[in-house]
Amino acid sequence: MTAETLHNIKLLAPEVCLTFFLCFLFVVDGLFPKTRTNKFSMITTVVACIAGILLTCKVGKTPEAYFGGLVVNDGFTKFFRYFFFFTAAVSSYVAFGSKEIETRSRMEFSLLLLCTTIGMSIMAAASNLLVLYMGIEMVSIISFVMAGFKRDNLKSNEASFKYLVFGGVASGFMIYGFSLMYGLTGSLNYPQMAAYLTAAQGNFGLVFWLALVLIYGGLAYKISAFPMHFWAPDVYEGAPTPIATFFSVGPKAAGFAALLRMLLTVFAVKTAEGNWQMINGISLTHVIAVISALTMVVGNLSAIGQTNVKRILAYSSIAHVGYMLMGLVTLDRSGLTAILFYLIAYCAMNLGAFWVVGVVANLRGREDLDAFRGLGWSMPVLGICMGIFIFSLTGIPMFSGFIGKFLIFGSIIKSGGYLWLVLLGVMNSVVSLYYYIKILKSMWLDRPESPESLKLSTYHAVGLVGLAIPTVVLGLYFTPILEFAERTLSNLL
Amino acid sequence: MNHLMQFSSSLQGYLAVGAMLFSLGIFCVLTRKNAIGILLGIELILNAAAINFVAFSKFRTGLIDGQIVALFIMLIAAAEAAVALAVILRFYRLKQTIDADEASIMRN
Repeated sequence: MTAETLHNIKLLAPEVCLTFFLCFLFVVDGLFPKTRTNKFSMITTVVACIAGILLTCKVGKTPEAYFGGLVVNDGFTKFFRYFFFFTAAVSSYVAFGSKEIETRSRMEFSLLLLCTTIGMSIMAAASNLLVLYMGIEMVSIISFVMAGFKRDNLKSNEASFKYLVFGGVASGFMIYGFSLMYGLTGSLNYPQMAAYLTAAQGNFGLVFWLALVLIYGGLAYKISAFPMHFWAPDVYEGAPTPIATFFSVGPKAAGFAALLRMLLTVFAVKTAEGNWQMINGISLTHVIAVISALTMVVGNLSAIGQTNVKRILAYSSIAHVGYMLMGLVTLDRSGLTAILFYLIAYCAMNLGAFWVVGVVANLRGREDLDAFRGLGWSMPVLGICMGIFIFSLTGIPMFSGFIGKFLIFGSIIKSGGYLWLVLLGVMNSVVSLYYYIKILKSMWLDRPESPESLKLSTYHAVGLVGLAIPTVVLGLYFTPILEFAERTLSNLL
Repeated sequence: MNHLMQFSSSLQGYLAVGAMLFSLGIFCVLTRKNAIGILLGIELILNAAAINFVAFSKFRTGLIDGQIVALFIMLIAAAEAAVALAVILRFYRLKQTIDADEASIMRN
């Protein structure tokens, strides 16, 4: 093994570490059948994620491309590694407190979760079409299995089935788009593709645009942006709640990582001031603005009539993708920093909101608005935490969601154009208040038919408060995270 | 005849086959009600991409990377088919049918 190979493997240490833990769990699963049902696999997952986070801190201070340019290690990769490992650890914690993940399949869940996490972190690091494709499929194929985790439940099976069909077609479109892009640019590596596109000076022909549409189709499916958003409500509703919790944050952020990296390194070039500029002949900003507008309008309007809270949150997560895409329109530093900040805020508040739904679903066996009646009074901690998450999702001042929206809207206003988009965003936030507040109304204003004594277990209370605190704190004191996000972008390769 | 021979050993020939497979795949996915039929449509789309990669690798870049991608596509297609068949089997056990239109308990 040469020194270079060793160095490359060292840079990939967090993923290697997770793979090691994955293999370890496989062996333990075979040797000690008892671990299949107890909390051992959860503890191992959390330990693996913490080890991954520590290794990410330690490894590779300087941004560089390695393994012959297949993957890169820069601030962007690191940011998303922290993000994914944190999400995976929380999801594992959520799942082991839920009755929806049967005791007998706990080990399977941990194995699948770890594997998806490795896939997501490869997606964020990929700087090559093949590696990106492998990462995406690693996440997708395992997600199909995870969506159908409740084996004897018809809804769960249907979710898995729909996810599989739409996901298969979307990834087929994407790989066909990749093949056209490869034929056009003659390379799979992002920098070479960018070099070709820059040299072409806008003479691309129809094939380029076809490839772009197909690739967008695949990536939009992963982040559930318009027009590939329709699977999300069905899949989130059918999948077990802890898994929907994970889906709504992890793979979505991974899709964002892939989309951002591809857009910024292949189709745009860095300018001297540290902003980005679309390559000559590709001006996508209008298209992104329209897509973002449609995504948030569709998400918010479809959420209005829903009564199933999981479905409401699914549509709201589509709307949030719309808000995040707004940050891409200006392609400057402040907008992109705002997207990263929004992702962090979204991670805490959305994990929390889905978690509350999971707790209620365990309690009542259903998750429609009626199931939430009066729960604020019988379980105040749950009610208050849900209030914080919902206010933050709406974008009410003092909470992290507001700061996220403020930064995104502010970056557009600062750049001077697209005021209609900001207006639309604000209007959408107002519309979203209507369906979000229905959940809180059910929890706090409606009295339960009969007084009941319920108690939130410490296990859930600790986790929910743990997510509610950053949601509040980031709404008041956000400078360090913002600076962190800015540093992340400054050394994007 | 000579013309046809030339066409079939040129980049355009391969791309035409790829585009045809891709369109047939989409057609198959859109029209089939049977879940296995939809799965086959997806496989056709993946293979269209693989043909494109191999053709571009031979005629356009002269590098081996496109052919490696084709190998990986086969691998992914196999993995996806394995998972898909398992999901469809599960669906069949519960519903006694693999008609995709039957997957409709969740609607807006």
